[in-house]
Amino acid sequence: MIEVDHLTKVYPGGVEAVRGISFTVEPGEVFGLLGPNGAGKSTTIGMLTTTVMPTSGSARLAGHDVATDPLAARSVSSVVFQEPVVDRPLTGRRNLELHASLWRTPRPRLAELAIAFGLEDLLDRPVESYSGGQRRRLEIARALLSEPEVLFLDEPTVGLDPRIRHELLDVIAGLRNRGNLTLLLTTHYLDEAEQLCDRVAIIHRGEIVALDTPAALRASLGDEIVELRVDGDGEHVLTRMREHGVADATAFAVGSTVTVPLVDRGAAITLAEIEVLELPVMGVSTRRPTLDDVYLRLTGGRLAEAA
Amino acid sequence: MSAVSQAPTLVSARPRRPSRTQSLRTLAGRRLALTARTPRELVVPLLTPVLFALVIAPALKTALHTSAAYESYVAIGTVGLLIPLNAFFLGLGVIVDRESGAQRELLAAPVPRGLLVLGNLVVALAITGLQIATLVGFAVARRIHFAVHGAHVLWFVAAVVLLTVSMYGAAETLAARIPRQEEYIARIPAIAIAPWFLAGSLFSITAMPVGLTWIARFLPLTHALALMRYGLNGDSTGLHAIWRMGHADDMAALSLLVLAGFALLLIRVAIRVFSRSATA
Repeated sequence: MIEVDHLTKVYPGGVEAVRGISFTVEPGEVFGLLGPNGAGKSTTIGMLTTTVMPTSGSARLAGHDVATDPLAARSVSSVVFQEPVVDRPLTGRRNLELHASLWRTPRPRLAELAIAFGLEDLLDRPVESYSGGQRRRLEIARALLSEPEVLFLDEPTVGLDPRIRHELLDVIAGLRNRGNLTLLLTTHYLDEAEQLCDRVAIIHRGEIVALDTPAALRASLGDEIVELRVDGDGEHVLTRMREHGVADATAFAVGSTVTVPLVDRGAAITLAEIEVLELPVMGVSTRRPTLDDVYLRLTGGRLAEAA
Repeated sequence: MSAVSQAPTLVSARPRRPSRTQSLRTLAGRRLALTARTPRELVVPLLTPVLFALVIAPALKTALHTSAAYESYVAIGTVGLLIPLNAFFLGLGVIVDRESGAQRELLAAPVPRGLLVLGNLVVALAITGLQIATLVGFAVARRIHFAVHGAHVLWFVAAVVLLTVSMYGAAETLAARIPRQEEYIARIPAIAIAPWFLAGSLFSITAMPVGLTWIARFLPLTHALALMRYGLNGDSTGLHAIWRMGHADDMAALSLLVLAGFALLLIRVAIRVFSRSATA
């Protein structure tokens, strides 16, 4: 449904926002682009929605090339942008009607979506009087009006309070179970990616550094990890651990934290070996790996900090 | 709440792609709805021309001891001020769309990008028509006389339409290139008002030094004003000042051609610049 081949965007001034990324998304799949702000996620969405001109490479939506057949590509897709894009002086109803008219959607669907998104009592108010969550619901309802084959959600829950955020996550999760809608969403929230996505591409400085299911990405770090808080430079401690065979290439250090994935050994043995080395350890914990660990190992930066 | 309830069932039927006419109507309707909620875009451009028609033209007539025709001369001249002002104020809507984010939604719609410009142009033409009707109505109420000769009024209408297209094209281009409203507004006097003083609005272009007269001949506004006076007042002196030919209709046709060329060029440039800058 979505085919991206060596897609590149270099902005004026030489800023390489996206560097030759490639991936495909199957019909009905929920695909996530995970990465911090500035990683190139929104630029990728921009190119796929034909609102940003690619510098090179190609992308197709339902077989329509976004560069050579942009009208067809736009007619099969909808997008919920990161920033509000509604006409605030106009009422919610007028905003929906405009979208329906531009995408030539039957009006009855408008009422159906308004009810589904709890907007029926708000529709005749100017959008400028909506709360952030109400406006977001309107934007998602509007994007669904045209019955898109591909729906892009660019950081759909950014700026929302936790309650509305979780409600929207439920709605997005519900979309995947109905019809054959293909979803591509960008996020820097790990829980969103884990909860919603069939597959996740981790994007870092414009490049995809990992692409797989959330479970497979976590599994690359084994079933469990040991995390050490050390006194001093973590890299120095990690080097000593590697010299003594306590850690392998999958282990990594950021600041004074050393993370050791337990791919083919037990926690008890590893902890005993660490104790023998008499490292300057201030604290030890074991836990299951998360996507944050995957991101950290691949990029050397914690996702929450980068975002 | 659950304000967000159950997600709707999605059916697989594809919506048809809208026709260009329908899209244009929708885009123009949107712009009109937004403009109607922004009185400044309707009223501000009208203030100065109405002031000219009602106060300044009669005052100048008295001070300069000119004939009664001078009031109608200036009244038509004020149309040449109204159209650029109106077009450039409407151009602000493009920047507002960009700053508010609404432009991205329009860019993602399955309509050719050029229609976004043309939709705005339709509204510019409609509002300009309304404002000129208001201006002429004020002038007539002030007992300013226009000597309309039958079908000659079509020269006036054509000049109004083509000048509006030209000016709106220039406004869209400027709005696409200028990032902020403040910077855009700061440029309006130089682009929309300064040519008015050179284009034969208050006096014939032949009254200026030769160099400025020649510059005036290349301004679309000069041709537009000459055509408007020919159409609404039967006065071909403006056309003579440009072309120095004998037959008024021939000169009017030439000025119309020049104006049409400007209109076509400027609106094409506007579409091109908008399409490129919006998806850079």
